[in-house]
Amino acid sequence: MNTEMTKKGVDKPELVQQRNWQAPPFDIYENKDELLLIADLPGVKSDHLKIHMDKNELTIEGLRTAVKHDHVLAEESEACDYRRTFVVPPGIDEEKIKAETKYGVLRLHLPKSEAVKPRQIQVKAG
Amino acid sequence: MLTRWHDLSRTLAGLEEFRRHINRAFEGTDYPRWSQQTNTLSAHNWPTLNLYDEGNKLVIDAEVPGIAEQDIQLSLNQNVLSISGDRKVDAPEGYAVHRQERGAISFARSVSLPCQVDTDKVAAHVKDGLLTVTMEKSKEAQPRQITIKAS
Repeated sequence: MNTEMTKKGVDKPELVQQRNWQAPPFDIYENKDELLLIADLPGVKSDHLKIHMDKNELTIEGLRTAVKHDHVLAEESEACDYRRTFVVPPGIDEEKIKAETKYGVLRLHLPKSEAVKPRQIQVKAG
Repeated sequence: MLTRWHDLSRTLAGLEEFRRHINRAFEGTDYPRWSQQTNTLSAHNWPTLNLYDEGNKLVIDAEVPGIAEQDIQLSLNQNVLSISGDRKVDAPEGYAVHRQERGAISFARSVSLPCQVDTDKVAAHVKDGLLTVTMEKSKEAQPRQITIKAS
C-alpha cells in the first residue's frame, strides 16, 4: 500500500477516538417568540445528545453506540455520529433553550430574549 | 422514459457504493470522510437498510426518524420482507420557514432474504427512530456444527 496515504499528519493534532460523523438534515423555523430547529437524529439516545452555545455558534452533537456486527450481508448506511453547527442571530435567551426528542427527531426551541421581541406600541388618541 | 430514469438511479446507486468503498479504504486515518448526501429524500432508497447475519437469525435495521410504530407496516411473504409506511409533515403552524431539509415521505421497500425464516419468530421494534427486525432462520437454514470423528 502507498505509504503516503497512511502517514499521519504532523501539523495537526490526532483525535483520541476515530469516529465518522455526518451532518444531519435540519428544518429551521421562526416565529415572534422563538427559533425552532428540528433534526433527524435516528439512533441517538437523549443522554447522548450534546447541545452547546459558544458565543453565537450553536453546536448539536449526537453520539451513537453502534453495535458491531460480524457478518454483514448488506449495508447501505454506516452508523456514524452527527454534528452540525449554526450561527444563530443575537438575542437568543441561552438560559431558556429547551430540547426534546421523540422517535429520533430532535426539536430544539431557542426563545428570543425580551429585548428583541417585536412590541406593539399603543397609540393614544390625544 | 421510465427505463431512462431507472438507469439514472442505478448509476447514482453505483456512485453511492463507490463512496462507501472510498470511506472504507480511509478507515482509521485522520482524513475527513466523504459524507453522505443527507438532503436527498428520494423514496427509492429510503429508509436505508442494513442486513446482518447473526448465525441463527437475520437482523435488519433501518433509520426511520419521526415515524411511530403504528405508521410502519411490515410483511413477510415467503422470504421477501416488505417495509412500508408514511412520515407525516411535522412542520409547526404559524412559523416562517428558514430551512427545510426534512419532509413528509411515504416509502415502500422489499428485501429478499438470503434464506428461509421462521415466520412465527419475527420480532420488530422501533427505538429512537431506529427500526430493528429480528428474524429467526428456519430449521433447515440454521448453521450446524459437524463433529469429525477420529477413526
